[in-house]
Formats: sequence, C-alpha cells, structure tokens
Amino acid sequence: MPICVANPRTQMPLLLTALVAVSLVSLLIGAGDVGPLRALTALGGSQDSDASFVVWQLRAPRTLIGIIVGMALGVAGALLQAVSRNPLAEPGLLGVSAGAAFAVAIALVMGASAATLRISVAQLGALIGCVCVLSVTRVRGVGSDPVRLVLAGAAFSGLLGSLTSLMLLFDQRVADEIRFWVIGSLAGRRLDDVVALLPSLLIAAVAVALIARPLSALALGERAASGLGHHPGLIRWCVVACVAVLVGAATAIAGPIAFIGLVVPFAARAMAGPDIRHTLWFCLPIGPLMVLSADIIARVVVAPSELPIGVLTALCGAPVLVAVVRARRLPTL
Amino acid sequence: MKSNASDLSTSAFMLERSSPRVAAPPGYWRIAWQSPRGNACSLLIERRSLVVSTGLFVALLCVCVLYLGLGSMALAPSAVIPALFGAGEMISVFTVQELRLPRLAAACLTGGAFALAGVLMQTLARNRLATPGIIGIDNGATAFAVASIVNVGVSIAPPAMALVGAATAAALTFGLVAGGGTQGYRFIVAGFGVGAVFGALTQLMLARVAIDVANAAYPWTVGSLNARHDNAVGLLAIGLTVGIVAAGFVARPLSLMRFKDATAYGLGINVKAWRFQVLMLSVVLTALAVAVAGPVGMVGLIGPEIARSLSSSRQVPFVASLLSGALVMVLADLAGRTLLAPIEIPVGIVIAVIGGPWLLWILMRPQRSHA
Repeated sequence: MPICVANPRTQMPLLLTALVAVSLVSLLIGAGDVGPLRALTALGGSQDSDASFVVWQLRAPRTLIGIIVGMALGVAGALLQAVSRNPLAEPGLLGVSAGAAFAVAIALVMGASAATLRISVAQLGALIGCVCVLSVTRVRGVGSDPVRLVLAGAAFSGLLGSLTSLMLLFDQRVADEIRFWVIGSLAGRRLDDVVALLPSLLIAAVAVALIARPLSALALGERAASGLGHHPGLIRWCVVACVAVLVGAATAIAGPIAFIGLVVPFAARAMAGPDIRHTLWFCLPIGPLMVLSADIIARVVVAPSELPIGVLTALCGAPVLVAVVRARRLPTL
Repeated sequence: MKSNASDLSTSAFMLERSSPRVAAPPGYWRIAWQSPRGNACSLLIERRSLVVSTGLFVALLCVCVLYLGLGSMALAPSAVIPALFGAGEMISVFTVQELRLPRLAAACLTGGAFALAGVLMQTLARNRLATPGIIGIDNGATAFAVASIVNVGVSIAPPAMALVGAATAAALTFGLVAGGGTQGYRFIVAGFGVGAVFGALTQLMLARVAIDVANAAYPWTVGSLNARHDNAVGLLAIGLTVGIVAAGFVARPLSLMRFKDATAYGLGINVKAWRFQVLMLSVVLTALAVAVAGPVGMVGLIGPEIARSLSSSRQVPFVASLLSGALVMVLADLAGRTLLAPIEIPVGIVIAVIGGPWLLWILMRPQRSHA
C-alpha cells in the first residue's frame, strides 16, 4: 500500500505515545473520589472493588468511546474538507451533527428508544444533513466562498437545533432522555453501544481506505481526476456516505461535538502536508488525542460534577476558527 | 466681512424667494409654507417611506389588538378596546391591563430595539447579515447576564451585566477583524466564533450551579418574554426613546456612509467618529433588549430585511425597521402563546424557526452586485 509514505518515522510514534499516555491519564483521573494512586493499583489488579469498578466499568468504556469518536470525527472532517475543497468544512459547523441529533429527537418522539435503532437513525439524519450541505456547495458563489458556507451551516444547524428544542417542549419523557445527550458528552455510555457501532465503523474504514487514492486525485481538480480514470461524481457520493456513517455513529454515541472535525484535520495537514492520504493517517491519532484531552479537562475542571465535552471543544475550537478566518489569505484546498 | 457674508446670504435668499415655484423631485412630496417671519420654508417627504411606515404602523396596531384579545381567555376586539381604557367587565380589564399589556409593551420595545440596532449595524458594516445576534453580541450579553444570576442572585444586575457583555463581545469582534474591514463574511464568521466562545462559557456556568439556579437562568439562554424585569423594561423604554432621537441625528451621515469611506470623507463626514457613535448606539440598544427578552437577536435580521424590501433605497429605513421589528416580535410571541395553547413556546424559538430559513435564503440567493 502506498498510502503510508509521509515522513511518519519521527512524528507518528510521537503521536502514538502521546495517545497511549493520554488514555492512561484518562483511566487514572476522574471526577469521583478514586484518585490516581488507587486507580493505578486497581489497574495492577488489587482487591479494591470500588476502584476496579470505577476504572474498568466507568472509565475504560469512556476512554474507548473517546478514542472511537475522535477517530470518526477527525476523519470525517478531513474527508468533508477534501471533497468540498473548503478548509472550514466541519461536520459540527455545517449542520451534519445537527441533522443527526434532529433525526434522533424525531425517532425518540415517535416512541423509539433502542440503542441500535438510534445509531442507524442518527446515520440517516447525518446523511440527509450531509447531502444538504454538499448540494449547497454546488450553488454558484457559495461553494467558492468558504466563509459563506460556514455561515449557511450555522444557520442550518441553528434551525435544526431550535426545531429540536421545539419538539422537546411537547414531550417531557423525550426531553429528559435527550437533554444531556444534545450537549455532547462521553459520560455514562456503555460498552454495548460501542459494540453496536463497530460494524458500520468497519464498513466506513474499508470504504475510506478504498477512496483515499481517488480522493487525492480529485484534489487536482475534477478534469484531472477524470483524466486519471476516476469518477468524480461517484467519489463524492462515497465520501458523503462515509462522512454520514462516521458522524452519525459519533453523534449517536456522544452527541453533537463541534469543532473537532475542524481542528484535527488542520493539525494533521500541518504535520503531514497537503496529500489527503497522509492527512487521514495523521487524523487517526490526533482526533482521539484531542477528544480525550478535552474529556479529561471536562472531568477535572468543575469536579465533583462534570462539564459537557462540547463546551470544551467549543472553547478550544472557536479561537482556531477565528484565527483561520483572520488569515489574510484563506488556505485553499 | 461679517456684513458682507450676511449680504450674500440675504441675496441668495432673495433669489430663492423670487424664483418660480420649485417642483418636488420624483417620489417626494414637497410641503412649503411661510414661517411667521415671512421666510419660505419647505420640507421634502419621501412618499414611499411615509406610505410604508403608515402601513406598518396600522398593521402593528391591528396585531396589538389581536395580541391583547387572544389567549386562554379570548376577547373580541370590541371588548379589548374599552377594557384598555378601564371600561367593561372587571375580569377582562384585569386580563388586558395587568396581564397582557405589559408583555405586549415588552414585545414591541424589544422588537423595535433589536431591529433598530440591526439596521444601524448593517448600514455601518455595509453588510446585511451583520446583526448583533449573528456577530456574537447576543451571546456575550447572555453570558454576562447568566454570570450575574449565578453569582449574586436575581436583581437589577442582569441588565447592567448584559450591557457590559454586549460591549465586550462587540469590542472583541471588531478588534479581531481590525485589519480586514467589516465587509464580507469573514467579519461575520469571526463574530460567530466569539459567540461560540461566549455560548460555551454560558454552558460552563450553568453546569457548575444547582439545578434551580440553572432553571432561573434558562430564559436567558433561549429568549423569552416570561421572565422580564419591570425595571429592565423601563430602562429599555428610556433607551429606545433616546435611541430613536439619536437615530434621527445619525440618519444623514449614516446614509452617506453607505458609500465608500473615501466618498463619505469627501462629502464631509467624519467617518471614524460617526462609526464609533453608531456602533455604541447599536450595542447599547441590543444590550438593553437582551436584558429584557434574552437572545432573540434574529429579529435584528428579519425586521430590517422586511423594511428594506418595502422601502426605497434612497435612505436608511429606520422607522420602517423599527416598526417591522416590533411587528415581527409581537406576532412571534402571539404565535408562541397561542399555537400550542397549554404549552407556551418561548419567543426565541419561534423567531429562530422563522429566521433560520430566512437567513439561509439570503445566503443561497445568487449574489447581487451590492447588497
């Protein structure tokens, strides 16, 4: 496979080490009264039943989910940016996550509550949101102006958000079920949910591996890609499907988390250069790294209670957005 | 020298007076009269804006009567109007005067203030999307108001804090785009980023406190006319009155500032000074309105849009914006109160549901040469 040929010899091991370290910290630190030392002994297999429960039943699934969500959102952001040729395209900003959240709210109001149903529904909603966003980029004048697209996305997700809160007014049961989920959080998720996610994530991973090469050809422009024997329309649809599956899965399990899909590909491009094939590889460790760091801070900063992770990603991501916008010349893809 | 100048002006005056009757430019009415001292005076009134403003005013009055009549206890307009003046049944007088009238006043005032602030800022930034709500001033005011509720309990403080928050957010947004100018979408997205940070701060504060304190702060996060403070409404009424008078003063320079900066300077406008004053006016109006109704800044987008589509482009449509903003706000609150009768939809959600598609439509429309 010619995919992994960047200069990963120096940076990739570093990133992976950092990821392992952050995962460990995520297992050791929490909002509860099980401190790092007790958690460490529990990891080593001590008889402290409280600590081992907290570490293995609460923090381990949470860390795992953080890793999965980070990978999914980072890759989805990189794909969306590549296919819309827009450095500001981000699933959260453009309303893909809001589409997923809206679909889940509708499904809950209709009476559904099973975990698997929720995932497929969220993926369907993300698909619809994604199609809306990409059809908007085809409108003349909007697609070529990255900043205008973000504004359209913000309007779109604002609309969906207010429709969601409108529905919550009707139904107290659903409001109770969805209230904390809408903000975005990794807390209180079970391993069963992760298992339910895995098939669709595997399919998406295979699909991304297959379309990475045509996608990097598409970066040269549609004509060049056709000349190289690829089908731009087909690639675009595949990317839309992948993004929908990834964002839908991440949203179903962790709620809409904004700005991860903006910051992660940004950092990955800075390290790996413009080729999407390298960027995608770098997104895999950077995404979990960011989600887990944000999650750890969210646990610590207002202990003994917890902060929704969406708040922290907004606090870190919005300045990046402003910085990108402030640059005199927007980086073009 | 002095006498010479006065001679000159007198002779010019004579010339004016002796010239044949001046025809009004097309689209204007010219009212001419003799002042008591015998000078000829004349006033040009733009026909279309007068008609539009009168029409909007009549519509607003009708909607207000409807607003006072509809609700869990429906009253016919024939019962509403006497009740307004204290005649008729006790119960209907009480409903109209004590329950619905203060809320109607709050709706009119906030709608008008948001729309006036919106039209000021849009003209200033030469950008029809530059509403206080979109560039983050709303969120800043909300964050500071919530901070005040969370820390010191409900008092006169939230409105004052909202003012501080609005000023902070405006300063941040304008400071961040300092080099790039206020035109174009970058300005808006920078404001959007500032707004996202303040929104996150609001969430952070709400997450830290007990649930009943968070519930007390809830109206501030969606925008509702339920939790208004009487003194905040009074403050807004004073502020809006001052704002309308001030808008009358800035109308002329502002309508010239729609041109390029160089042109405006050439026509004798001190662009920098006026820009600062207009910006301050817009920020203060927004902050006062947010202090009453929470973040419903989308009115500042819808109101001026309606006014612009109705009025001619000769002047900045202040009056029409004010009236249509109030109209939109009253209609939205009426819809929120009556559509799903036992449940009340907060007015912020109604406005967002209307305003979101509207904003999308503006964005998706093929761009004209100059908006």
